[in-house]
Amino acid sequence: MTQNNEEKVEIQEEDTQKGRYLTFKLGEEVFGLEIKYVTEIVGIQPITNIPEVPDYVKGIINLRGKIIPVVDVRVKFKKEPIEYNERTCIIVIDIDDMSIGLIVDEVSEVVTIKEDDVVPPPSYKTGFQNRYIKGVGKSKDGVKLLLDCNKLLTNEEKQNISDIEL
Amino acid sequence: MKKVLIVDDAAFMRHTIKAMLTKNGFEIVGEAENGALGVERYKELSPDIVTMDITMPEKDGIEALKDIKKIDANASVLMVSAMGQEKLVKNSIIAGAKGFIVKPFKEDKLVEALNKL
Amino acid sequence: MSDDFNTYSEPMLEMFMFETNQSMEQLEEILLNIEGNSTITDDDINEVFRIMHTIKGSSSMMMFNNISKITHSLEDLFYFIRENKIYDLDLTRLSDLVFSTIDFISFEISKIEKGKDPDGDESQLTSDIKDYLNSIKNDHPDQEIILSEDEEDHENFISKENLSQDSNEFIAKIFFEDDCKMENMRAFTLLRDLEEIISEVTHTPKDLFDDEEAADKIIEDGFNMLFRSQEDYDKILDLLEDGMFVESVDLEEVENEEEKSEEIKKTQVDLEEQKKKTLNETLKNPFSLNKNKNIISVNVEKMDMLMDLVGEIVITESMVTKNPEIQNLELENFDKAARQLRKLNNELQDIVMSIRMIQIGPTFHKMHRIVRDMNKQLDKNTRLEISGEETEVDKNIIDTLGEPLMHLIRNSLDHGIESTEDRIAKGKDEKGLVSLDAVNTGGDVIITIKDDGKGLNRDKLLEKATKNNLLTKSPEDMSDKEVFSLILLPGFSTKDDVTEYSGRGVGMDVVKKSIEKVGGNIQIESEKDVGTTINIKIPLTLAIIDGMKISVGDSIFTVPTNTIKESFKAKKEDLIKDTSGKEMILIREDVYPVVRLHEIFGLKSKKTSLLEGILVMVETEESNYCLFADEILGEQQVVVKPIPAYLMQYTVKDSGVAGCAILGNADISLILDISGIANKYI
Repeated sequence: MTQNNEEKVEIQEEDTQKGRYLTFKLGEEVFGLEIKYVTEIVGIQPITNIPEVPDYVKGIINLRGKIIPVVDVRVKFKKEPIEYNERTCIIVIDIDDMSIGLIVDEVSEVVTIKEDDVVPPPSYKTGFQNRYIKGVGKSKDGVKLLLDCNKLLTNEEKQNISDIEL
Repeated sequence: MKKVLIVDDAAFMRHTIKAMLTKNGFEIVGEAENGALGVERYKELSPDIVTMDITMPEKDGIEALKDIKKIDANASVLMVSAMGQEKLVKNSIIAGAKGFIVKPFKEDKLVEALNKL
Repeated sequence: MSDDFNTYSEPMLEMFMFETNQSMEQLEEILLNIEGNSTITDDDINEVFRIMHTIKGSSSMMMFNNISKITHSLEDLFYFIRENKIYDLDLTRLSDLVFSTIDFISFEISKIEKGKDPDGDESQLTSDIKDYLNSIKNDHPDQEIILSEDEEDHENFISKENLSQDSNEFIAKIFFEDDCKMENMRAFTLLRDLEEIISEVTHTPKDLFDDEEAADKIIEDGFNMLFRSQEDYDKILDLLEDGMFVESVDLEEVENEEEKSEEIKKTQVDLEEQKKKTLNETLKNPFSLNKNKNIISVNVEKMDMLMDLVGEIVITESMVTKNPEIQNLELENFDKAARQLRKLNNELQDIVMSIRMIQIGPTFHKMHRIVRDMNKQLDKNTRLEISGEETEVDKNIIDTLGEPLMHLIRNSLDHGIESTEDRIAKGKDEKGLVSLDAVNTGGDVIITIKDDGKGLNRDKLLEKATKNNLLTKSPEDMSDKEVFSLILLPGFSTKDDVTEYSGRGVGMDVVKKSIEKVGGNIQIESEKDVGTTINIKIPLTLAIIDGMKISVGDSIFTVPTNTIKESFKAKKEDLIKDTSGKEMILIREDVYPVVRLHEIFGLKSKKTSLLEGILVMVETEESNYCLFADEILGEQQVVVKPIPAYLMQYTVKDSGVAGCAILGNADISLILDISGIANKYI
């Protein structure tokens, strides 16, 4: 009996936070992250450099005693980097006990987007960021590009190669 | 001239509010001493503004407010509350009261409030 | 429905869940006792009644009506039994009803913990309980029962969330007229007035309702709002100024950097801070506790803070006692006091670490229930023996171990222990035995799960592994241990052999992963028809090391002190190059390679000439060499944190970084991997 209970709970855990996204901006574009992955948001803070990492991995920060690597999403999406200011935030996401911080221009709000309002991502491969998009969500304020957190966290060198071949 | 309905269970308050408002160019078209009567009179008189005491017997201010809002969603109701009734004020604002005033108040504040409605 | 619960404070909800969970555990123990002894005592009846009564009350306060109803019906049942002193009960039926209730309530609580509505339907179970009560009443006519009170209906107000068009961002600072009273509610009214046209609102003071000082804060500093609106500036200004008892409005568009007053700029900073705080709070809605939090968590979080604080004290103590400003002074009294301080800090460290240690007993005891349930379902008669309950383990580890242990026990019962007939045929005791043991070896904790079942079949395992393409060696070359470890590989269990009770969703590979996550490992031994033993070894951790801080350009690195032999400034005549152009240094007739730290880490050094910086001679198992850095900053105890998991996909570890150290001033210093650097660069 206990077993069945555990299963049901697993499935429903997904439901509670389904459709809820934290939105953030890079320039004029608005992106969304499923909030089940987001643990917190902090302002930009001193970053310690780390050797032998790609340019978008800016280094590591100390978040109350926990060391979190931070990724500049602008750089990762091959956009022009900008100077950090008081609106720049780090969104800390956590998947399978792996945490990273995403540096973004500013955070907006938590929105609910129903599944019916999400369309599949564009099939053309222009725009470096599209490989990370798992859907496009429509809401009253406009279109939000919904990111695939799992893809954000993995090494995409393999993907690079396959894209060149295209 | 704006027409006002005064709803309050204390005769003193009804008297005072009436005096203050009449001096300042408002027409008092009716009074009621509890929420239920307040709603009845609202239906009869269709005033521009209602001043509503928050706590009353026979249907309190918030219930009466809700009923009035059902009759006219744009009804202008000013809640009259006392210090310490924050939760009730909060609930009335959520229920659609356009504003509130806290006892004890001076004449100019009451008039200012009604002028905004 | 979930908006209703915003009315409750989180501490109240946590307390409710904590108490209810505790009660469920107590209840389970009582029932297991009753079943074990096959009798029910007055005390048992009283206890169960009391527990049901308490939960009925608290759950109705929290408006969890289904829990309230079901506990109410059980309360009625036990009240009847108690008042009428009924002992000739069908204990099996009774205990099944209570166990089902425990499961129902525990499940609802876990839903709440995960942020979902506790929407389980209690009606079937409640009616079963009522039927049982009726059957007892039929057997004992002339008895009465108390009727329950009706639940009160609470009204709740739900405020709308609104999404409006996004365009410009504004900041507003609003002051209300003197003596208008309830300024916090005035502010709330303003928010409602503007509701339709604004979105993404952040305001200070943040809490208009529960903060007693909100009105005062507004009187002093104004009501400040940061929001977005598609309306133009003038329209918004009008709306704000029209607010009841509004004295003054200072409205600015955020984009307009030059025109903003200093005061507004400062307000903006506060508002941005508040916005992050609010968003963070939205991420943790009243029900979802973080995955790692646990209902004892009010303490655990403080425990973590305490641990970090102790780490920092250790570091700061070093900063005081090893301060360069006092290094050359002879300070006898100071030294004495410093030693005392060090001693006390060490004690503090030990105690704090020990507080986080919890006995593993309760986790083990939970397994009794699982064994009981499985015995029933599988029609087996297995005993569970527990030893080593007082063994203490870090709380983190206990949290991670729960699920794997349950899975392993289920496995033993399902696949290990044979049916009663088989056992008798083999000449074994008809009661199977599963034993759980924990022992602390100083540096590790070893947990053993042993069953006296049929053991693992080497050939069958190899067959299955071959079928699933999991073999990396030829079978003949594999030891028994290696073969048994095959079951830990992902993809080993196929759908066919997953039964209802073991292995669904939680494969052995997930068990392995959970254990490796806390740094442990798992080993399997087995013998045909004798049984299987699973050993889990988990290290007890916390690393604080002595490190030497050295600077290279703007970065600070930490070298583990126990690797340092000496440090010095190089003399020109001692510097040489070997045949391949690598720099070396001659010291007392031996030649050592030199590794320039700024080169291997790609940093701009302040000192490029080997004569200006400092050389630190370090030793590894195989050799010694010298690191070239700008300056030595001093020795310090540091708390070691591992390289974050995300970075493991890059070559950070190979580049010479062993881990990260958090310094006394909260900066991060990379800890050098002395052997790694030697391997790579020499």
